[in-house]
Amino acid sequence: MARLELRGVSKSYGRTVAVRDVDLVVEDNEFHCVFGPPSSGKTTILRLLLGLVAPDTGTVLIGGTPVGDLGPKERNLAMVFQNLALFPHMTARQNLAFPLVERRLDKAAIARRVAEVAETLRIAPLLDKLPAHLSGGERQRVAIGRALVREPAAFLMDEPIAALDARLREEMRVELKRLQRELGHTLVYVTHDQEEAMSIADRIAVMEAGAIRQVGTPAEIYDTPNSRYVAELIGAPPMNFIEGALDGSGRFEGRAAPFSLGFDGVTAAGPATLAVRPEDVEIDASGGAGGIEATIYEVEPLGAFTIVDVSAGERLLKVQAPGQPRFTLGAPVGLAVAPDRCHLFHGETGALICSARREA
Amino acid sequence: MAAISLVSLTKRFGGLTAVDALDLEIADKEFVALLGPSGCGKTTTMNVIAGIEEPSDGRILFDGRDMRAVPANKRKVGFVFQNYAVFTHLSVRRNLAFGLRVRGFARAEIDRRVAAMATLMRLEDRLDWPTAKLSVNELQKVAIGRSAITEPEIFLLDEPLSNLDAAFRAFMRTELKHLQHRFQQTMVYVTHDQIEAMSLADRIAVMDLGVLQQYGSPIEVYNEPRNVFVANFMGSPSMNLVPCTLTGGAGAYALDFGEGGTAAVEDDDLKRRCKAARGADLVFGARPEDVALRPPDDSGPGIDMTVTFIEPIGPRTIVHVAAGARRMKVAKGKHYRAALGAPVKAALPRGKCHLFDAGTGLALGAG
Repeated sequence: MARLELRGVSKSYGRTVAVRDVDLVVEDNEFHCVFGPPSSGKTTILRLLLGLVAPDTGTVLIGGTPVGDLGPKERNLAMVFQNLALFPHMTARQNLAFPLVERRLDKAAIARRVAEVAETLRIAPLLDKLPAHLSGGERQRVAIGRALVREPAAFLMDEPIAALDARLREEMRVELKRLQRELGHTLVYVTHDQEEAMSIADRIAVMEAGAIRQVGTPAEIYDTPNSRYVAELIGAPPMNFIEGALDGSGRFEGRAAPFSLGFDGVTAAGPATLAVRPEDVEIDASGGAGGIEATIYEVEPLGAFTIVDVSAGERLLKVQAPGQPRFTLGAPVGLAVAPDRCHLFHGETGALICSARREA
Repeated sequence: MAAISLVSLTKRFGGLTAVDALDLEIADKEFVALLGPSGCGKTTTMNVIAGIEEPSDGRILFDGRDMRAVPANKRKVGFVFQNYAVFTHLSVRRNLAFGLRVRGFARAEIDRRVAAMATLMRLEDRLDWPTAKLSVNELQKVAIGRSAITEPEIFLLDEPLSNLDAAFRAFMRTELKHLQHRFQQTMVYVTHDQIEAMSLADRIAVMDLGVLQQYGSPIEVYNEPRNVFVANFMGSPSMNLVPCTLTGGAGAYALDFGEGGTAAVEDDDLKRRCKAARGADLVFGARPEDVALRPPDDSGPGIDMTVTFIEPIGPRTIVHVAAGARRMKVAKGKHYRAALGAPVKAALPRGKCHLFDAGTGLALGAG
């Protein structure tokens, strides 16, 4: 399997810049997610790697070798799309065999390879069924199998499970991760679903408007987002943001919600946004001296935990409390926020001023 | 007043029974979610309440009054669909005002209500925009706002948030709930998303294949599922359901988990559930957040398993464990560490275990 690399790659379609000066390294045997909102350039990155489009500037490398002169077939990359392109008139077995038949492998070799792949994907009992008689998850497995039989240098997947229902998605992502780990494939995986990216990836590249904003492990991206943009995209329920200002000697004064909090060693001054994850805010139901004064706005019991929406000044904040606590709507509460659980972002640019310093 | 009663409501389409003898009481001012997978009959139920579909059998009553002869447009219900129905050639203001205009409201009252709704929906600075320029999120706010503004006594919503992005969905959940607390309508909300149903509803009606499976508050449905379907449908990850065999007699019950070993039944709540068993083939249930992972030589009752997969999902780590074909997911904190392949004992949580009959799927000794 191969290391994939984009070096200073840009690509425009007419006047639309799809990918802007991207440097991306996908290590050998890595499960690498490319994550971002619609139209942020995720799919263009796959198309550039595949060779379906050529970069305007920059270099695409596979296994350390520039591949600008190689067409899609010569790059030996396998692609799995969201809409599973199976041949409806062929059985699962014939679909799996198709890429090998096309390459004129002999019958025995094809049968052996199809059996191996079917075993790995646990679809052996389905091999003689037509796609119409398979469930969504089974069809997805066959589509993945068809990419797998060729023994490609790397896999590229574009939202491969987005069309499945929630339960099946949860199952399939575990399955994909297991496969990738067992087979040791390099895998580039495009998704707009942050939970999927977090659960499945070795590393995530977060994209905005054609550029990569941050690359890191799921824990790095979640715990230390490098900008307000990344902080907003990752996590559900989403992070809380409170606008305010820093005074130059480490004191943050909330504007939208009146409170202040000290940050050792922070010397920046001017407009700033404090960001804190819902699970890092604590509710003091006794009304609480100190902290942020708030009232209970709505309570969302989810069983394993409870999302409490609180109204603080002009802001609604979300707090994720463990278990099934009870609150009275409209009741005054105090919110405790530890400075080492907060991030500070620049009030205008959204750039990181100071990151949470939580213990690992 | 707007209480809704469905009495033995049945709806057939040709040979297919979409809703089968449904009895449901929705109290005045109550927020009820109809929850289930696609094809469970939830949308058909709502369409019958609205008068869009005629029931094949049974009755629909609003405050005790039979609605059979009352056409949809006379039922005083507001409707919001998954695909926002807004007039794209009109501004946000005119969309919001539309329902009030056709009902002949005075200009001043229309202005007052439009302003109040715009504030509530945070659309103040969009009022004079053409709707064609709005984002999907904003369009759905307009769609909800223009239906809510006429203050219908009954508000029916069919998957209104399912086209929105995750962050906005979380925001709109809160706002919808607040809207209902403020206007005190009777709300019927159709969704396939258990998180939406849990977070919004006063009571949830869980449906499958046209049949009501359970009706209760979110916490009741979550904590005491009446059958395997409900146990599996609620929660994310859903409840662990592990086949087992009941051994021993009263006083010395044990659960045999095959490759996972045998766990003695020690706590009274689980004993009570064992006592209700009619056969030996059972399904053991426990929520992922209730299960502790202990060292394999721990002396307490549990299932011997190995760690097969670890998913870090933001604030939680989901640890997958298995003993042969018996699998469980265990929800742990953010920085939980476990080694793949490590042997563990999945401890039976005291007072938080469930048992179901393997044949009927019904909960044993619930409630």
